[in-house]
Amino acid sequence: MSLLDIADLRVNYGQIEALKGISLTVSKREIIAILGANGAGKTTLMRTISGLLLPRSGTIHFDGVGITKLGADRIVRRGIAQSPEGRRVFGTLTVLENLRLGGFTRPHGEIAGSLDFVMSMFPRLAERRGQFAGTLSGGEQQMLAIGRALMAKPRLLLLDEPSLGLAPIIVQAIFRSLRQIARTGVTVLLVEQNARMALKLADRGYVLEVGRIVLTGEADTLLGSSEIQTAYLGGERSDGASLLS
Amino acid sequence: MDAKLKPLSQSVSIKGDTLFSRRIGLKGARRIAGGLWVLGLFVPALFDNAWISIAAIFAIYGIVALSEDIILGRAGMFDMGHAGYFGIGAYVTAILNVTFGWPIFATIPFAILVSAGVGALLAAPLIRLRGDYLLVATIGFNAIFVLAMRNNLGGITGGSGGITDIGVPFLFGFQLASQSAMFWLDWVVLGIVLVLMRNLDASEFGRTLRYLKQDELASTTLGVDSRMVKTLAFAIGAGLAGLAGTLFAVQISTVSPSSFVFTESVTLFAIVIVGGQGSIPGVLLGTALMFILPQIFRDFAQYRYLIFGFAMIAVMVLRPQGLWPQRSVRA
Repeated sequence: MSLLDIADLRVNYGQIEALKGISLTVSKREIIAILGANGAGKTTLMRTISGLLLPRSGTIHFDGVGITKLGADRIVRRGIAQSPEGRRVFGTLTVLENLRLGGFTRPHGEIAGSLDFVMSMFPRLAERRGQFAGTLSGGEQQMLAIGRALMAKPRLLLLDEPSLGLAPIIVQAIFRSLRQIARTGVTVLLVEQNARMALKLADRGYVLEVGRIVLTGEADTLLGSSEIQTAYLGGERSDGASLLS
Repeated sequence: MDAKLKPLSQSVSIKGDTLFSRRIGLKGARRIAGGLWVLGLFVPALFDNAWISIAAIFAIYGIVALSEDIILGRAGMFDMGHAGYFGIGAYVTAILNVTFGWPIFATIPFAILVSAGVGALLAAPLIRLRGDYLLVATIGFNAIFVLAMRNNLGGITGGSGGITDIGVPFLFGFQLASQSAMFWLDWVVLGIVLVLMRNLDASEFGRTLRYLKQDELASTTLGVDSRMVKTLAFAIGAGLAGLAGTLFAVQISTVSPSSFVFTESVTLFAIVIVGGQGSIPGVLLGTALMFILPQIFRDFAQYRYLIFGFAMIAVMVLRPQGLWPQRSVRA
């Protein structure tokens, strides 16, 4: 049974149509990667799922319940948490406080257990628990953003560009942690420009281009496909034709 | 006083945040503030009537400025119509007292509720407006309020002359008619408001406001209902301004539209920005600069706005965080 079901989603910014009829499904315990270049609509899709944007039409169902018009805070309470693009940790709060804040929607008593879980996933955060988030490195901030989202104990974790601006070695560490997190039973929907990393982690992938899904399939298949090779993985273009068109 | 402080420091260590707990020497600062407040009680014994009324006006505008700070400084919403809520409170008291013969104290809950209600009603549709758009919309509200009062809305606001001969409050059979008694009333209410502000800072709601101000998107993704929190901030800020309105009506014994015009809102806005957003001592310092200093240099009183204008420019250039900033945001 699918955990997340999106049908013909259309989202506008004023006159500009950012998503032009997106349909996708995410099953329980799956890791799904959404690939695409800048401006493809990846972040728009994330923000619409999490309730920060209202779609013009189309529906979003989570665990069989329509959440299309729910406010962002309600959606968090239903079990969808996100690590937003650009991390957006609270720089003037400590690591620990940022994490506690992630449990905003939950009873105080339940937070300790999640805190232990996050610290075990990201030992680095345990080391730096008393440090102000603003003084962390980019990679540590990304870990904190993911950890903070996990504090809401989500069934679906949305990750918006976790590799953004990070050194390859850090990205690898973060993706290793993501795999571990997914093994605990959290379903992951990941938006990435780093197609190779994302597809290595994911079960399935969707390729987004100017608001439309142009390609979908098993991650391994996508990784091997010539379109992906040329468009995202720096492979040779044989025909010189425009990408994925 | 110590006993009262205890639960607060506990809450800081259990679930507080460093935005707050980093206020080193908090207890000491509180003692000084409490001491100053007690000293203030002796103003009537030490000064003449003119100065007592100046101190009373300081207390009243201090409350209004603190209430503006909830919306502007703590929630980060550009409210440039705050004199309107202040006016609603004053008019509610004036109308209920003069027209319907209610005792002053009985009008207080209504002054608060009507102002808070208007604040919330107004906020609900405006809340999604960003910075400058919200600012313009609140100016519109202020203008409508003043116009409505001038045009004798419903025949009960008295037109541009306003409402005169507002009664004096009675407390346990005593008439609070003297300048000193009224000052004490204002001073006690200021004290209560200060305690409320302190509790707001330490409360979950207060912290939520800070998170929202710092990063609304991040807060929302963590489950903060930003609409609700912002509307509530507007309602609380407006309600407190309404309370100050009652005190103002009693102090001046007259309410008229000219006391609540747009420039008054600008003054309140400036007090918060110049004094220090989210800082209780900063806001009170700003209020003192605006309402007490001109009395000391009475010969220059006509230059009040000129001097304050230059002060605003200087502060914004040299000290954008305000004269006495919130300690937490320094680090």
